[in-house]
Amino acid sequence: MIYLFQVLNGIGLGMLYFLLAVGLSVIFGLLQFVNFAHGAFYLLGAYLTYDLTMRGFNFWAAMPLATLIVAGVAALIEALLLHRIYKLPHTFHILVTVGLALVIQELAIIAWGPLGGSVPAPAGLQGVVILGDFIYPQYRLFTIGFTAVLAGLLWWLLEGTRLGAIVRGGSESPANMALLGYNTMRINTVVFGFGAGLAGLAGALAAPIRGVEPFMGAEALSVAFVVVVIGGMGSYTGALVAGLLVGVVQSVMTTLWPEGARLMIYVGMALVIALMPRGLLGRA
Amino acid sequence: MNPLDKPFAQLALVVLTVAVLPMFLTSGILATEILIFAMVVAACNLLLGYTGLLSFGQGIFFGIGTYAAGICLTRWSIPVPLVLAGAALLGAATATLVGWLSIRRQGVYFVMLTLAFSQLFYFMAYTFSGLTGGDNGLLGVPRPSIGGTVLNAPWSYYTYVAICFVAIFAILVMVTQSTFGRTLLAIRENEGRAAAIGFPTRLFKIEAFAISGAVTAFGGALHAMLIGVAPLSNIEYHTSEMILIMTIIGGSSSLFGSVLGAGFYLLLADTLSTIWPRWLLLLGLVLVTVALFLQRGLWGLVERGYDLIFRRDRAPDTPVEEP
Repeated sequence: MIYLFQVLNGIGLGMLYFLLAVGLSVIFGLLQFVNFAHGAFYLLGAYLTYDLTMRGFNFWAAMPLATLIVAGVAALIEALLLHRIYKLPHTFHILVTVGLALVIQELAIIAWGPLGGSVPAPAGLQGVVILGDFIYPQYRLFTIGFTAVLAGLLWWLLEGTRLGAIVRGGSESPANMALLGYNTMRINTVVFGFGAGLAGLAGALAAPIRGVEPFMGAEALSVAFVVVVIGGMGSYTGALVAGLLVGVVQSVMTTLWPEGARLMIYVGMALVIALMPRGLLGRA
Repeated sequence: MNPLDKPFAQLALVVLTVAVLPMFLTSGILATEILIFAMVVAACNLLLGYTGLLSFGQGIFFGIGTYAAGICLTRWSIPVPLVLAGAALLGAATATLVGWLSIRRQGVYFVMLTLAFSQLFYFMAYTFSGLTGGDNGLLGVPRPSIGGTVLNAPWSYYTYVAICFVAIFAILVMVTQSTFGRTLLAIRENEGRAAAIGFPTRLFKIEAFAISGAVTAFGGALHAMLIGVAPLSNIEYHTSEMILIMTIIGGSSSLFGSVLGAGFYLLLADTLSTIWPRWLLLLGLVLVTVALFLQRGLWGLVERGYDLIFRRDRAPDTPVEEP
């Protein structure tokens, strides 16, 4: 029973990892750079949810609002700053986004203090579900269902809509998209905001589960990297499979070997890289 | 080539730095820390500037060196020179492993992998606290002694580190000047072509990683003896990030740039962190500014200043180009 509990926890965690990784992947696909500020957007999403619920907002209002604010902030950063660096070598992409991550993290400490805090589960989902011997928190079940619906929506958005086609076209050849009359600058801004918004949403959803603290961004970033490395960059299915795998491994390990739980996801990554350098579902 | 970039000029600048630091700094500990990080950052530069590999994993090797010194010196009484050599060997071995696995992917994947590996080693140090002391680290790491006198006075340990630093820097200069170093440059410029000529490029990259890892671990061991502790923070992701930031701020076109980068970062940290605990905010802004306006780093500024004074006829700087 404890394992079922941990597997469910792992699935919930894994879906959050998936959201993080898919945002990173979408940004990379179109803009061709790794966003080291991705973890900071996750942090921002979590803290904004914390802030808004402290101000008396309902969680159901705070979560989308936090997500939108993160997406807006990210789009603004892209429009003001990032478009200047696309033509530079990737060292400088990393430098700028690492710098941004530091700025966001320190601003969060200035705004909300260094100690962190907890976010209560939303009203209506504070109880547990009881099925015979099995007891599970309602909010966690909700995140699993909600992120599953979201994953479906995302898949449809990227594979089945015009927007998705534009994003995929842009990642193949920005020049051709420009020739077809698309404003690639605006597409870049929208996609960066969208990807960062996904990280913000992951943070907002995670806040009632793990609370908020100023250094949650750095860990989220490295977990997102692990998921992308295991799944293969640019692969939606890869991100989903790897996210779930990492989440479940981490969760189940907390019962078997609590101190080593987080170590195991990195050991897993090292094994995958040693055996299949392209990742589980990566293309060449 | 700018005369300042010549190997002897670089060595002269390093010797000058070692001689000048005690005149300007009152804290021997800070001065020693600058030298330790200068050598570690130069080792990072061997990868970034000379091989074109952006490694987010330098903290791994720094931490390995720190723990090697911490464990050897607190549990057994092994002579310090042996400990330093052992730390360097262990660093080279770890770097070979990490390099071998990371180099299987190129470009941004490589960067992401090195960062993920630095988390792997951090959690390893955290998990096996029986060996590493976990959160508390290993306390009471002794300083080396010479002729029966322990180098507890800050400036005497500074001298010890300074000799190591100049020697290591000279080795790094020789490495970059050698055929091996030239081949690394060829790989940086055009890996496909270097491979086509017949160079085993992956092997060269792994060797560069091993050298870099050895020097970084050596620095880590010196650092543990400096502060008397082998702390968990030395193997953290932040250490990797800090070393990389120092490298890029200093400028990756010359090894001495790394000395500037380490000095700039540590002096900035020392001055600002006492005034304002949130000084990392300013560091973040500095990073963005360097990336946008100062892509050759502080060393680029020095070169430009030199040209302005001595070589008015020289053509303006060529901008950084896409690799």
